[in-house]
Amino acid sequence: MDFYLGLLQVIGVHTLLGLSAYCVLLTGQVSLAQAGFFAIGAYVAGIFTVLAHWPLVPALGASAVVTGAVACAVGFPALRVKGLMLVVATIAFGEAVRLFFFNFTYQVQTGTLHLGPHGAEGFRQIRYFPEHGWSTFDVMLFIWTVVAVVMAALWWLDSSRAGAVLRAVGEDELAAQSSGISVTAVKVSAMTIGGVIAGIGGGIFAHYTTHIEHTQFGVGLAAFAIAYPILGGLSNVFGTLLAVIFIQGFLIEGLRFMGDWRNLLFGGLIVLAMNIRPRGLLDAGAVQALKRLLFSNRERSGA
Amino acid sequence: MNLLDLIDAVQSVADGILFGSTYALLGIGFTLIFGVMHKINLSYAAASIGAAYASLLILTVIKAPAILVFLTAAAAGGIIGYLVYLVGFKFIPLANPLATLMSTIGLLLLIDEIIVHMTAGVPLNYPALFSDVTIHVGPFSLRGDLMFVFALGCICMVVLLLVLYRTRLGLATRAVSQQPTASKLCGISTTRVNVLTFVITGVVGGIAGAMTGAAIGMLSPLLALPLTVKGLIVTVIGGLGSIPGAIIAGLVVGGLENAFQFFRGVSERDLYIMLLLFAFLVFRPGGIFAMPAGRD
Amino acid sequence: MTKLNIAIAAIVGGAALAVCGAALAQERTVKITGFGAKSGVVRVFGVNSEAAMKAAAEEINKTGGVTLGDGSKAKFTVEFLDDRCNAEEGISVVRRIASSDAFVAIGPTCSNVAESLFGILQKKVGDASDSGLQFPIIADVAAKGGLAKISEWSFRNVPSELEMYKSLMGWIKTQHPDLKTIYGGVEKDFAHSNATYGVMKAQAEGNGFQVLGTSEWLLNDTTFSTQVRDMKRANADIVAISAHPFTTCGVLKEMDRQGVKPKILIGLTSSSSIETLQGCAKQAEGIIIPTSFAPVTPEAKKAAEQVAKFGGSADLHSAATYEIMFMFKDVIEQQKIMARADTVEADRNKMRQGLAALKETSGLLGKIGRTTDREAIKPFLFVQAKDGSWQVLHKPSS
Repeated sequence: MDFYLGLLQVIGVHTLLGLSAYCVLLTGQVSLAQAGFFAIGAYVAGIFTVLAHWPLVPALGASAVVTGAVACAVGFPALRVKGLMLVVATIAFGEAVRLFFFNFTYQVQTGTLHLGPHGAEGFRQIRYFPEHGWSTFDVMLFIWTVVAVVMAALWWLDSSRAGAVLRAVGEDELAAQSSGISVTAVKVSAMTIGGVIAGIGGGIFAHYTTHIEHTQFGVGLAAFAIAYPILGGLSNVFGTLLAVIFIQGFLIEGLRFMGDWRNLLFGGLIVLAMNIRPRGLLDAGAVQALKRLLFSNRERSGA
Repeated sequence: MNLLDLIDAVQSVADGILFGSTYALLGIGFTLIFGVMHKINLSYAAASIGAAYASLLILTVIKAPAILVFLTAAAAGGIIGYLVYLVGFKFIPLANPLATLMSTIGLLLLIDEIIVHMTAGVPLNYPALFSDVTIHVGPFSLRGDLMFVFALGCICMVVLLLVLYRTRLGLATRAVSQQPTASKLCGISTTRVNVLTFVITGVVGGIAGAMTGAAIGMLSPLLALPLTVKGLIVTVIGGLGSIPGAIIAGLVVGGLENAFQFFRGVSERDLYIMLLLFAFLVFRPGGIFAMPAGRD
Repeated sequence: MTKLNIAIAAIVGGAALAVCGAALAQERTVKITGFGAKSGVVRVFGVNSEAAMKAAAEEINKTGGVTLGDGSKAKFTVEFLDDRCNAEEGISVVRRIASSDAFVAIGPTCSNVAESLFGILQKKVGDASDSGLQFPIIADVAAKGGLAKISEWSFRNVPSELEMYKSLMGWIKTQHPDLKTIYGGVEKDFAHSNATYGVMKAQAEGNGFQVLGTSEWLLNDTTFSTQVRDMKRANADIVAISAHPFTTCGVLKEMDRQGVKPKILIGLTSSSSIETLQGCAKQAEGIIIPTSFAPVTPEAKKAAEQVAKFGGSADLHSAATYEIMFMFKDVIEQQKIMARADTVEADRNKMRQGLAALKETSGLLGKIGRTTDREAIKPFLFVQAKDGSWQVLHKPSS
């Protein structure tokens, strides 16, 4: 049981990572910087709970604020860079953040222990959860509450005018600008929101792994972040969730019985998925089909 | 800073520039694919390393001289290039750039895992040409094998530019990159051009992988991801779609990398490369040689 | 008639039960799960660990297996899970193992996974306010210093690099009193090599050598000309390189190119494997590395053959895995572990207790001491790369 709860925790945090990339992707920007925001969120939350002895939620709040500020700052220069150059620029930003933490040492001595981030060795003993008696179930519940709130917020955003504006900028920037939409404001806001979500996700990540170091936040994690929304489809937030369940639940844990073949299948299945469903697992067509299936049944049973 | 330090600094930069020719070759591949198909192939560096690994297979059959191994790498690169096109690009509609981005990421993971499975992740020795030759110019010494790689890179550039500007295939490639619809109307088969682009860049990639292996002396799966990042940086600095840009940017990045290393040490070195990229993106987003903008 | 029927039924039933019981008793197995990296550049470690587990299990099973708390004999079976050197996956794997009837696990390979993993374990036994996992784990490969003290449920069977380099530096001092200076090279972004360099440097200074400087590089660097040039300028008697095979070979090749020939070359423990020899046997000629395994004793030789049979190679890491399986046999028998589905929690506690209580275990090179910090004090020797293989240079007496 513990194993499934742990898996749900991982799926939850990765959904947050995926949603942060999803936000930015809606406006047509392919951002591989989400791993960088994730890292900042992780370190900030860790520093607040371990060194300043804050409770978890304020620490996550601090993560959200700091990461949001950084994302906003990144959003402006990102405007100047279009398309695939943005991919490279965000990879470079992510690497720069990782290198920063590679060098970042801030140790505080309490008794005989040295606590805090220690450069290449990372930041160890972020034991807020076990020290405060949170069981695996408690942590899972907490994570999914956050995920539910974020997904609800994004869903509401999507169904409001703001969502239409975001997608308009994503589909055709020129047309959107001609309609009077401030493309700058939209893109920077999307980047900021994405940053905030990644920061919160990173903060939780730091706590359930109890040890973070720079190597975890490299290009690999950034690729995963972007993989979830692309694989899942950009029509709605559930696509990202589905993709996270597919990758973390099925490809990584479910295929374990295949032993060595699992890793080969990992890359292979992603390629296959993109060939078969280039718009994602849950693209607009699939959503329509699902709706028809669900609602037509209800109509029939109602009549 | 005394004279010895100055000599060391210049030597470092010189070494870096020579090593940068491997980055230049990778940059050429990335930039060609982007130039023709307006897509990024993130699996390119991994495929190049894969081609170099594949070329080692020939050593298990016969005791081949280094040059034969390099040629095998080039051939393997071409084959892998075609396979990448088939699996990652052919069936995905052009209107989905995200899907091809993702499929190339999937291919990167796949190629990496194949290499790891076949070699258990252990670094393998790679033959080099002129590895024991060192040319001395005053107090400076230049590595023979790197000069060979540099020369090879220049030859590649010349050959590619000749192909692009003096042959019908090159004309077709340039046409497709500038105006895909119009070229179809003129009877140019876009599919054929795309396939050939991938094969040619695959061959260049195979040579790049072999040269990287020769320059380091070893091959390791560790190389795939950092070379992808460096290759992309070089491509952007050089200008997406510009071959001379990729070469110059490769050499510049190589040299500066060593210069930063010399002056500021290894912890900050890569940070400065990123800052260099950002500077370019802010002040000269088109790169050193911005590609002439076609119509939408 | 009825009484006869009943009697026959009873005898037949009893015989059937006896046969079943005997059959069941003969089929008892205890599954030991190991986990580690079987992907990426560290795949070879996982492959070797798995081979060592299977080899040890076969050896133990040949002599009848392990005696459980109720007197029955059980055979070991082995399972190995891949954590891809990823902290999240390592935690997931251990939760998976802990959800089964397993009462102990061996792993991980990577030090960063161990850091996270040991962090989610209960810190102090019996602390009811600590909701950490209560499951004993013993690491065979993760070598970064000081990991076992993170939790009372975490143990290790890795050599103490402090002791090894202290002894090595001391020995070099006595063998070569004319050598005074040392220059270091370190792979800075990998936890293990970075931490071990600190040890090398401290022990060099502690033994009276003067450290002239340090060159640094990163795990996947490909060009070392600047670093080696600094090395050349320093012109030290001894060069110590704390890096894994890929960059070690890169640096050695560059040293060869620039004509840097120190009188003594020292390497990192993990690099005393076939990887280094496959990458640069010629340039690595003469490098001295302290290690806790070499096929010099009859047990070690046999273990090396057995591990090779299962597709791995015996080196200081997989030898530790091999030794751990035998440790398990001892603790299971000592603590009378029942290994039944209804005794899982008790078995885990007994296992932890048993491992913690060990003062000494038998290793392939001799007796291994155990510290209160749940670490191991392993006998070691110095090997040198000669003619494309690792040959024993010196076996310190203590």
